[in-house]
Amino acid sequence: MNQTALQDLLVRIKADAAAAIEASESIDGLRAAESKLTKGPLAEALKSIKQFSADERGSAGKAINETKNAVKSKFKAAQDALRSANIEGERKRAATFDPTMPPTVSQQGQIHPVTAMQREVERIFTGLGFAVVGGPEMETEYFNFEALNIPEMHPARDAQDTFWLTNGWLLRTHTSPCQVRAMLRWGAPLRVIAPGRCFRYEAIDASHENTFHQLEGLLIDKDISVAHLIAFMRLLLREVFQRDVKVRLRPGFFPFVEPGFELDMSCAICEGAGCPTCKKSGWVEILPCGMVHPNVLRHGKIDPRKYTGFAFGLGLTRLAMMKYGVADIRIMNSGDLRGLVSPARLSGARVS
Amino acid sequence: MLISLNWLKDFVDIPASANPRELALKFTTTTAEVDGIEHVEPNFTGLVAARITNVERASGEDMLRLVTLNAGKQYVTLSAAPDLLAGKTVVFGPPGATVGGHTFGETDPAGRKSQGMIVAGQGLGLVQIGANALFLPPGTEPGAPIDWALFDDWIIEIDNKSITHRPDLWGHYGIARELAAILQSPLKPYPITDPALLRNDALPEIAIEIDDPMLAPRYTGLMMRGLKTQPSPLAMQVRLALVGMRPIDLLVDLTNYVMAELGQPMHAFDGAKLANIQVGLARPDERFTTLDGVTRTMPPDTLMIQCDRKSVAIAGIMGGADTEVGAQTDTILLESANFDAATIRRAATAMGHRTEASTRFEKSLDPANTVLGIARFHKLATDELPGVESASTLSDCYPAPRAPNPIELDCDFASRLIGSTVTPESATDILTAIEFTCEPLSNQSLRVTPPSFRATKDVEIEEDVIEEIARFIGYGNIEPELPRMTARFFPSSPQLAIEQRTLDYLCLGNDFVEVYNYIWYEDEWLKKIGFDPGECITLHNPAAEGCARLRNTLIPGLIAFAERNRHHHARFQLAEIGSVFHHGRKDIEAAQHRSLGLVAAQSGARSDGELWNRMRKILDGWGRQVLEDRVDYVETSASHPWEDRDRLAALVVGNEEVGRVTLLPLACSQRIDERLRSWSIAIAELNLTALSERHGRHEKLVAPPKYPQVQLDFSVLIDATQRYSAISKRIAEFEHPLLKRLTFIESYEGKSLPPGKRSLTLRAEAGLDDRTLEDKDVSGFQDAFRSFLAGQSIELRG
Repeated sequence: MNQTALQDLLVRIKADAAAAIEASESIDGLRAAESKLTKGPLAEALKSIKQFSADERGSAGKAINETKNAVKSKFKAAQDALRSANIEGERKRAATFDPTMPPTVSQQGQIHPVTAMQREVERIFTGLGFAVVGGPEMETEYFNFEALNIPEMHPARDAQDTFWLTNGWLLRTHTSPCQVRAMLRWGAPLRVIAPGRCFRYEAIDASHENTFHQLEGLLIDKDISVAHLIAFMRLLLREVFQRDVKVRLRPGFFPFVEPGFELDMSCAICEGAGCPTCKKSGWVEILPCGMVHPNVLRHGKIDPRKYTGFAFGLGLTRLAMMKYGVADIRIMNSGDLRGLVSPARLSGARVS
Repeated sequence: MLISLNWLKDFVDIPASANPRELALKFTTTTAEVDGIEHVEPNFTGLVAARITNVERASGEDMLRLVTLNAGKQYVTLSAAPDLLAGKTVVFGPPGATVGGHTFGETDPAGRKSQGMIVAGQGLGLVQIGANALFLPPGTEPGAPIDWALFDDWIIEIDNKSITHRPDLWGHYGIARELAAILQSPLKPYPITDPALLRNDALPEIAIEIDDPMLAPRYTGLMMRGLKTQPSPLAMQVRLALVGMRPIDLLVDLTNYVMAELGQPMHAFDGAKLANIQVGLARPDERFTTLDGVTRTMPPDTLMIQCDRKSVAIAGIMGGADTEVGAQTDTILLESANFDAATIRRAATAMGHRTEASTRFEKSLDPANTVLGIARFHKLATDELPGVESASTLSDCYPAPRAPNPIELDCDFASRLIGSTVTPESATDILTAIEFTCEPLSNQSLRVTPPSFRATKDVEIEEDVIEEIARFIGYGNIEPELPRMTARFFPSSPQLAIEQRTLDYLCLGNDFVEVYNYIWYEDEWLKKIGFDPGECITLHNPAAEGCARLRNTLIPGLIAFAERNRHHHARFQLAEIGSVFHHGRKDIEAAQHRSLGLVAAQSGARSDGELWNRMRKILDGWGRQVLEDRVDYVETSASHPWEDRDRLAALVVGNEEVGRVTLLPLACSQRIDERLRSWSIAIAELNLTALSERHGRHEKLVAPPKYPQVQLDFSVLIDATQRYSAISKRIAEFEHPLLKRLTFIESYEGKSLPPGKRSLTLRAEAGLDDRTLEDKDVSGFQDAFRSFLAGQSIELRG
């Protein structure tokens, strides 16, 4: 190759580069074209340098290098231009992309309000060192009544209208059977809560269900008092409602506690003004409680002279109604998502 | 139970300034729950007593009578009230009197001449009396004004359930006693004829015999002569009506009046028809007719009142028709007895006949009240009719008199149990106000004896006495304090843990809504979906007809919920964790278990495949996240109407079948509702109790390989009807030193495949722990796998 031929080659390389840049529409295309030029004609030019005389080599090498750099920078400029154009195009497309749009399909998943309430109460009591246990919904007469100091023909059985089964068992009327079951399992000292479903044979209306949830609580230790019980119940309600709740304690008769009380809270549906949920009294019974009757401790093989304790039966369903503003208890077992799931989850986002 | 404030005022001074509502609240917080309180106000002016002198049929209408009355002055009025007869005295509104804002004039509303009006009981708010006139005792002065104050009262409703343990509170006198203690005001003595005066040896004794004093501790009787059938005094009628009892005549009203005061039921026999009394058990299958005219077979162990060993009443429940008091009765035998609570309750429940009397007897009444009741009756009767006299001595059979047992009260224990200081002095103050007697035993203890009316069952042990102290201290006055507790570890329940994690996984992460259903089937619904649950545990007293069987699967209820919700939502997923029940198990634990039911529903019948995949993905994830175990899908045959025989799998965890998953078949959805045709519904149910023991089996982690591994995909060609589970089991038997893991990638059916075939793509990961694989290793592995498949007659694709 002579000088002239080299010059021609270099001019052609530049022209090819310009044409390739013109023809390429993508960064990858530019890279391929560049690599084709570098590995092809440019490599050939470089190889030819050996054919030149010693004094020509300097200028030939210089010319090749200039061309190589020029090609490289042209390709780089072209790549940069294309990148900016891509970004620009992306930006244009993005202008119609609306990041503030809500999703069209909402997540309606939700645990039941009563389960949510149960979890919350469990959290409070596990924080106080209580165990959480379950218990059978189909119970024996012994655990549901006798072990709880309610002998056959005791009028207190009236207060707990019972669903009897033809096999002699029954549907538990309260979660209290878990008391003696827990005592027999663990003995004293004992701290346990037992959430679960209960059943009473009674007519259903806005504030009465034959199927509802309770949460039994039991604490047995040395020198446990009514004052301790009240402190626990206040703590519970303050945690649940995240504010001080107006409560009222009054005597209540339950054969398995002595003394026994009813704890009422100011109705959260009507704020105490009176509504069907609170039977127009402004108060809602949510918590029968009391000091564990010595006979019940004995049934649980615990010595009543060594230990005392308190027990309570929190109306979980009622508490959930208060907390979530459910006015009609029938919603809870209806399976009707319109009443069970918060509107925010059920339909799409509210236009605001 | 309804309580009249006016009546209470007979026994305790209530300051005029006291607000009845606040009083009721105080009663609620100290004694028993007040369900409601209502102010009853007189709605009339100018009413007077009037004696009927003449009654004629009014012309024109059948019911209407033309009545002439003497009310100090003569009036003639039209009236449709029943039982109007000359000689009777009624409450009358002469012209100018008003009732309920209406002023009576000289004509009736129809414009006919009619002076004033004979007032009906209900017109004055006494609904128990209805449209009847208010009849007054014969001695009432014509023209005497009707006392306004009788009608100005507060009626307090006490929740019966809150006093089942307090027989003493089933009457006004007992309520007054509590109120007196609350108000710290004295309780007035109960007005009675001194029983000593009723014991008169000159008069015959009624021979009374009690077979078993355990069943009938006491029976007291008195014969009385001269009680006439006449209206009771107005005050008595008004009080009875306001507390919900219908006034009838003096005799009946007196027994009701005493019952409303003392809680002691009494019964009057016709004294001419019996002369002696035995209390004993009914004969087997004895038939007996009570005064309501109903004949019943007496249940076993029913206690009867007998005369000459022939039954005359069911003890504590109702009197007999044969000895009922009638218009000709001159002498009555008044019974005031005490019966064993459980015996009465059992009999009343067994014969399905619970009466006002049995409701009280089953609360364990005070035996002292038998005499008190008769003495009060005698006092009221003779006050009203001075001519009434005893025809027997007060005859009292009380073979084993009961005295309240003293209870030792340790004031230190009381202080510790209440959490508030109790001293012997403060305890004595509180307890004596409610008629307990206290004697000091030591400087911290007392011997406390409850009064007889609290000692029948209510107050028996030290804790019962402490309750009395605590409620009068006031629960609002006890300072709350958290206790010191003994540290102790309680292991958590695996059953509850799996339930909680399952719900978290499904509802928080996978868009399920948790629902609760009733635990019994509705027969109608089962019929609709075509499901026969087999033998079930059944309710003796179901909530409604056709709801007696306890569920043994959650699915029928979930399908019902799906049907309910499809009207309002185009897509939803429901989850329920609940108990299901199994017939025929002896062990109560084994006869029930916790089940998880899932339903995913989407409108658009073509979304079957999508829904199936979603359900599988959810179950798979559930296994991984909640069980930390694998859920396998195994071919099985349909056994429920909601199972599609072709699109159904048993769910297997560790070789144990724990549930099933299916798509709702068209046949079933069409049965339910034609419109469900256009829905896809996936269903699954799992036995959580069986799985709870497995919870917490971790899979170990493995270190990343030191040398590169290769992934080799193989596709095998199988019949489209062949099940993955069958093929995978065979392929899983392949063993090779290089094989690290064999996984399923996808299943493909399409045009590029021969008809009736599908392809399964599997991925093998191969590698060595001590060096990088060479080409010959890889090809050796491929060859080994290919020849393994060939040996299994599994065709490799392409």
